[in-house]
Amino acid sequence: MSPATHPIQRPRDAKLLVIDDTGRVAHAPRTSFTDYLERADLLVANDAATLPASLTGIHEPTGSSVELRLAGTDAMPPANVRRFRAILFGDGDYRTRTEERPAPPRPVAGDRLLLGPLVAVVARAIGHPRLLEVLLQGSAAEIWEGIARHGRPIQYAHMLSPLALWDVWTRIAGPPVAFEPPSAGFVLDWQLLGAVRRRGIAFATLTHAAGISSTGDPQLDARLPFDEPYRIPYSTAALIRRTRAAGGRVIAVGTTVVRALEDAGRHDGIVRGGEGIARYRIGRATRLRVVDAVLSGTHEPGTSHYELLHAFADAAVLTDADRELAAAGYRTHEFGDSVFIGKRRHLPRTCASDTTPTGGPTYRARGRIRRPANACSVA
Amino acid sequence: MQSSRRIDPSDGASSIFNGLRVAVTGGTSGLGVALVRELHTRAAHVAFVARGRERVAQLEREMAGTAGVVGDVSRKEDIHPITLQILARLGGLDVLINNASHLGPVPLALLADTECEELQHALDTNVLGPFRLTRALLGALAASARDGRGALIVNVSSDAAVTAYPSWGAYGASKAALHHLTRIWDAELGAEGIRFLSLDPGDMDTPLHALAVPEADPATLKRPDDAAREFLTAIAAALPGGRLASSLAEGSGALDRESGALTA
Repeated sequence: MSPATHPIQRPRDAKLLVIDDTGRVAHAPRTSFTDYLERADLLVANDAATLPASLTGIHEPTGSSVELRLAGTDAMPPANVRRFRAILFGDGDYRTRTEERPAPPRPVAGDRLLLGPLVAVVARAIGHPRLLEVLLQGSAAEIWEGIARHGRPIQYAHMLSPLALWDVWTRIAGPPVAFEPPSAGFVLDWQLLGAVRRRGIAFATLTHAAGISSTGDPQLDARLPFDEPYRIPYSTAALIRRTRAAGGRVIAVGTTVVRALEDAGRHDGIVRGGEGIARYRIGRATRLRVVDAVLSGTHEPGTSHYELLHAFADAAVLTDADRELAAAGYRTHEFGDSVFIGKRRHLPRTCASDTTPTGGPTYRARGRIRRPANACSVA
Repeated sequence: MQSSRRIDPSDGASSIFNGLRVAVTGGTSGLGVALVRELHTRAAHVAFVARGRERVAQLEREMAGTAGVVGDVSRKEDIHPITLQILARLGGLDVLINNASHLGPVPLALLADTECEELQHALDTNVLGPFRLTRALLGALAASARDGRGALIVNVSSDAAVTAYPSWGAYGASKAALHHLTRIWDAELGAEGIRFLSLDPGDMDTPLHALAVPEADPATLKRPDDAAREFLTAIAAALPGGRLASSLAEGSGALDRESGALTA
């Protein structure tokens, strides 16, 4: 797939690949996404605003130019404003592919990084010389102002021009706690939210501090995603319970929402409001207990986002989908096209063969993802 | 001009402000600082925005627990840094008060004598600034509404928004645009639980008024503290649990169309 190279959140020609709960694949314009939602469904999105987490400056002991990318945190602000996990890059900026960036100096604990108005002190390396725990110096007000004024959004070489913060904030962006945009949410605007509400589809948010998605270092990339804190409002938890009780589906807008909800419901499938830290990887071994479908960007095999999709669909289905994405010219990365995947339905064999007319492919005229037919689930 | 009372000054709902997260632009002078003080007194969690760093720092020291943010709402590039700091320091937002205002040419000038740049600056501060800041904060405000805390945007208006006072062209036209924006926002986002109010504080003894009408006798003008208390009454009424007077429920009905001439 080729990357989307312009920061347009809702391109009119955006595509949507739909994988229904039987593994059947279909193409649709992304503007028709809401056609796949049904009354009593609940749409849950991540309302984290994106921090300008790329901070350029100098490694004080050597005088070398560096870029520090804040990459994760263990606690949400405002509780934490100081302590971050961060990835250090050598001289240069996003225009150079991360894999080709010159190595940074090897910082040791106590080294200071002078980042415009900010000073970061290296606390330690976390198992890799470029993955650091840093402590930003100064008062909370000074740190926030420094980040707000000096930081730039983290971006990658596929983008043609520098991103502004407004390019990466979703329409629903609230708490500034994400290190990269929860970009599945780019599909949402107020028009869409009003339209789904009028159809009886509920909307809720949670806040998940989405971490960095790529470091350019295979060893580090293999450790992604880092632990990510999240906050689920009590109103959202209540809506999830109500949706379940009414037989509606919980539809996650973005992989971060899947991660937060499945972490919160990992014991008994019940999501309670409050804060938590998503520590577990979601993948082919995961049994999803909360989320029924996910809207996501198109992801390249090998990434943690791609791995997460295996919790929804079988590897063979995803491999087919990859071929479809490539053949139909889908674009990838944060401003690219989207996939909408319903959680696979495991049919007893007798059921699948006995009820072929209703239990087989479940597309309606417009190719919706449908809930499992009752006839089948009780067979 | 006689400042007319449109808002019931008896509050009786001060507990609604306890922990309420409020941001005030133009928060270091005139009505703005009066609002910040009154909100702080009532235990609200207040962020205030202004251009002057020293004055912001001074007020922040004076009122422990407030969050002073240095920025210029008329500058597009400042909006997201301001928004980020408000949300990071308050942890969310329930009420935004777009109070920062630019008078236009000083001394006041006929429109025919108003430079384009002066009109532009008034529009940037009084229309585009509130529009951009509101848009940037809308996600947080909507989250607050969904959570049952309520979400309210108050835009500070003026009777110059509806009455054609000669020599108040830049200010009056920009406030008219802001007033109408407020009404449309309110019509569009009411279903999301986000309310918009356009409130006219009346003629107050403020630096802006002194620029406009230097010869005015301050004793004849309303005190900003009184206007601030009236604003808080209107805000309390518009939040969940408050009683929203029908005149306000119309969506910015508080703008008084009957008030007298603004020029003293």
